[in-house]
Amino acid sequence: MEKINLVDALSELDEDLVVKGVKSQLAENVPAIEILGQLQKGMEKVGKFYEEGEYYLSELIMSADIFSSVADLLKANMAQGAELETHGTIVLGTVKDDIHDIGKNIVATILGCNGYKVVDVGVDVPIEKFVEAVKEHKPQVVGMCCLLTTAFDAMKDTVAAVKAENSAVKILIGGGPCDNNVAKYCSADYYCKTAYDAVTLMEGQCKA
Amino acid sequence: MSKTELYNVHLERIKKAIALEKTDRVPVIPVGNSFCANHLGVSLADFAMNNELAADTMLKSFSSLGDIDGMQQPVFSPYLLSYQWLSKVRIPGIDLPKDVPWQVAEAEMMTVDDYDVIINKGYNTFFKDFLKNRLDNLEEKVNPVFAYTPQAIENCKKEGLVTLSPIVCCIPYEVFCGGRTMVKFMRDLFRLSDKVQAAMDIAMDDIVESTRQVLRAMKPTGAWVGGWRGASEFLSPKVWNRFEWPYFKRMVEVVLEENVIPVLHIDSNWERDLEKFLELPKGKCIFSSDHATNIYKVKEVLGDHMCIMGDVPAALTSLGTPDEVYNYSTKLINEIGPKGFILSSGCDIPFNAKPENVKAMIAAVTDK
Repeated sequence: MEKINLVDALSELDEDLVVKGVKSQLAENVPAIEILGQLQKGMEKVGKFYEEGEYYLSELIMSADIFSSVADLLKANMAQGAELETHGTIVLGTVKDDIHDIGKNIVATILGCNGYKVVDVGVDVPIEKFVEAVKEHKPQVVGMCCLLTTAFDAMKDTVAAVKAENSAVKILIGGGPCDNNVAKYCSADYYCKTAYDAVTLMEGQCKA
Repeated sequence: MSKTELYNVHLERIKKAIALEKTDRVPVIPVGNSFCANHLGVSLADFAMNNELAADTMLKSFSSLGDIDGMQQPVFSPYLLSYQWLSKVRIPGIDLPKDVPWQVAEAEMMTVDDYDVIINKGYNTFFKDFLKNRLDNLEEKVNPVFAYTPQAIENCKKEGLVTLSPIVCCIPYEVFCGGRTMVKFMRDLFRLSDKVQAAMDIAMDDIVESTRQVLRAMKPTGAWVGGWRGASEFLSPKVWNRFEWPYFKRMVEVVLEENVIPVLHIDSNWERDLEKFLELPKGKCIFSSDHATNIYKVKEVLGDHMCIMGDVPAALTSLGTPDEVYNYSTKLINEIGPKGFILSSGCDIPFNAKPENVKAMIAAVTDK
């Protein structure tokens, strides 16, 4: 039987074929970590389609969902202690007084499937919790979201506190009312207009 | 000039802008709710729970800030957001401190099985049951808002102000997406595409019929046809052309058939699909964008076809200075208008917008 190309199957969002391919490789004793690597390459291809305007958020979410469902299948087969290498770490949360999490969850999902470790600190996150997470996880990037303009000041204070803890960490912001002016107001390093901008920025930061 | 004459001047000006005709000046029609409470020192907890207070506050706030032609909406309740997106909303004074703005709490309130319920029992049956059993008897909270709306419109009229769009029309994409959550609903569009479409078709027929009844009973000047989560930037053309546009277009046509002005309330970025809006009749609708869609692109594609409204950004009214807001608004008047243009905020004016900034926006049309 011809080996199923997991990179193509995932990037074409063919869920049945991905599941079949993963099961078949596991049956042939291909190490789970190697299969996960193929799936991550598939996610990279999805990202490329997105950047080229062929795919949109709907396809990013669907691909992430396929990835997550087979990743669960693979985790059960991973050698004890084996972990897939990640490209970098981001601490991500919605700032204090704002409970909106749609954008944050989408960014977390897409970054996770693209090989980044996401430390999701939740919504309505106090400044100290961001700072603690930065101390503990030593991320390259901190991502802050909000949907309310009333959260701009909390975002600004959180950026200042995180920078005081670690001046090297880069801070990106995003969410409905944000733009480059808001990033400037908050002294953040970057503004992400779309969820996938976070992946592009992480790539830049983690290569640096 | 009497208030009635003033109302007629305002209405005529708005209608000319929609018909892409020359006007004596660009109309300005703000939209906002929590901003008005903050402006006049009304607690958000009281504003959220008292329809009459909310309506009076909105009217007093906006009419005190300059020579506006009207308001987009005359009354507000956060429970309307719940009704629109099948989601729970956290309310100031109940779930939140009394002066923290209400926020939609996204959660999976609608299940995959509900598509079957809609298909087998009809949308109205599903919706009524949902409001009662999953949204804590929501009808008891929203019915008084609907009942008060005609009075709120009348109060605006007495001040010479047009209420542009007191009704909000939502297509199934928005309702389902809110109830299922954005991520889960997008998965459904792939995994259960035929079932979702079947449920949407049934829901659309019921929603259209209810919308017609409301429009016939209230005879409003206009109605919002909302596009939020179904924005082009979120969906591939294949998905958008199947699940969003046909329903959106039909809703606009229904509103037009009832002789009501469709105010296309367009949030997020729809730039890719602007040309589709050319399928709607010329000089009959308002394209109202929130600043995420490039308004210059809107002008380029739709400027000869549809009145444009917007798009002073929320961040500018909250963080900017009056000069910055005035200059931004003036640029819009000159470059997007003056013909076929209505000045407004991009979506709602936010809670913490500075009143002097809203005043500067309004002043830009009168040069006062």
